[in-house]
Amino acid sequence: MIKLHNIHKYFSKHHVLKGVDLTVENGEVIVILGPSGSGKSTLLRCINFLEHPSCGIIDINGMKIDSETASKKDIRALRMSTAMVFQQYNLFKNLTALQNVTLGLTSVKKIDEKKARKIAQQLLNRVGLNDRMKYYPSQLSGGQQQRVAIARALALKPDILLFDEPTSALDPELVDEVLSTIKQLANEGNTMIIVTHELGFAREVADRVILMEEGLIIEEGPVEKIFSNPVEERTRKFLGKALKRFIIEPNDIKLELGVEK
Amino acid sequence: MNKFIDFNFLFESIKMIIVYLPLTLQLTFISMLLGLIIGLFTALTRIYKIAVLKQLSTFYISYIRGTPLLVQLYLVYYGVPRILYIFQTQYDLFDNISVNGISPEFIATIAFAINLGAYLSETIRAAIESVDRGQFEAASSIGLSQTQIMLKIVLPQAAVAALPNIGNTLISTIKDTSLVFTITVIDIMAEAKIIGARGLGYFEVYIAVSLIYWATCMIIVKFLNLYERHLKRYERGIV
Repeated sequence: MIKLHNIHKYFSKHHVLKGVDLTVENGEVIVILGPSGSGKSTLLRCINFLEHPSCGIIDINGMKIDSETASKKDIRALRMSTAMVFQQYNLFKNLTALQNVTLGLTSVKKIDEKKARKIAQQLLNRVGLNDRMKYYPSQLSGGQQQRVAIARALALKPDILLFDEPTSALDPELVDEVLSTIKQLANEGNTMIIVTHELGFAREVADRVILMEEGLIIEEGPVEKIFSNPVEERTRKFLGKALKRFIIEPNDIKLELGVEK
Repeated sequence: MNKFIDFNFLFESIKMIIVYLPLTLQLTFISMLLGLIIGLFTALTRIYKIAVLKQLSTFYISYIRGTPLLVQLYLVYYGVPRILYIFQTQYDLFDNISVNGISPEFIATIAFAINLGAYLSETIRAAIESVDRGQFEAASSIGLSQTQIMLKIVLPQAAVAALPNIGNTLISTIKDTSLVFTITVIDIMAEAKIIGARGLGYFEVYIAVSLIYWATCMIIVKFLNLYERHLKRYERGIV
């Protein structure tokens, strides 16, 4: 179980997260939605201390880390039990697809080269890249790069997978291959938090949806409830606007939301 | 001597001068290596903003880049024996080295290393900063330490980015070593002067020495290009 308690983040004087509490059960898939600048990505990055929270406690399966007392060792331990997939893939450009996946295994987990390669091959197989192992990132398409990044994240067997807008930088025709890979991981019972703008995908994959605005969670609940019957007017407005922008399955969702045509 | 160029003498000169090429190359490569180490170290103090060391590095780079190499050669040539003398008389250190026995080649290597360190520091710093921040984040997010990130991700890519500049510096250094005759080192330039001074014609010896510099630089450029292509193998486009 992952528990976030009272997470605050300031960027100099700018108060980006204003006390976020969140509990994620093991095996649960959470999607965070919200307008740009609402603090979704910052929250995700606070979970593995890519942004050091200004205050708050992060508890991953009993490993409690207080942002005010966190040591370098605590942060490394935390990062080993979480993994992140980035919007810009961020693959290591000087390493092949295979080496991108094995690096964490050999350098962080100290698994020997041979075994690491085996694990990496299995993972790349799983994301459908068995014929691209020896390719460098520059030789792969965006979708392929993002799938390598997903394999890299899975390699460390993290307690939780964090996805930061994993399809936002992709060409539209490459989005599906990445989404279906993530869907597959969700079905396999991985614990995940996903920040995305793909509403259709959110609806398919999420167990629970969280709406953020101005650094706070304004509404959370099971996916069907949020999409069909949100309590908050702000949620309704956001979903309505987002649908107009992205036009994903417009008719059925619009009808459910009661948005005027 | 009524010919424009005395070719016989030119070839004779080349044969005599080229004997000293290994010294020029040794001077260049050893000081380059030391310069790279100094450059990397000073670049890191500035990137990681390490107090005191960072200010010292900035001062060092500014001073070296703002003074002529020839002056620096003289400063090291006259400075090292003095420093050694003080160590020996006041702290009883390095007693086994004779102040008068320090070879000018050693002095020249030190002077060039100090000079190159400053120029390479800027090159290395720019190259390290050119590696995009995202890879740094990705590496931290899987738990790699700062040192591991530097060694396995950042430096290999920075090396590729820095190589063209390092290559240019290497070529300049080969030519700059022609100054070492001023501190009594006999390199290819000094030998050319000596042969020329025998009264047989400066023009031919300088043509000879220019051809040797040129050929050496061309060969090194060729190797650098091959090496660069090898390092850049991961930048090839989609296959």
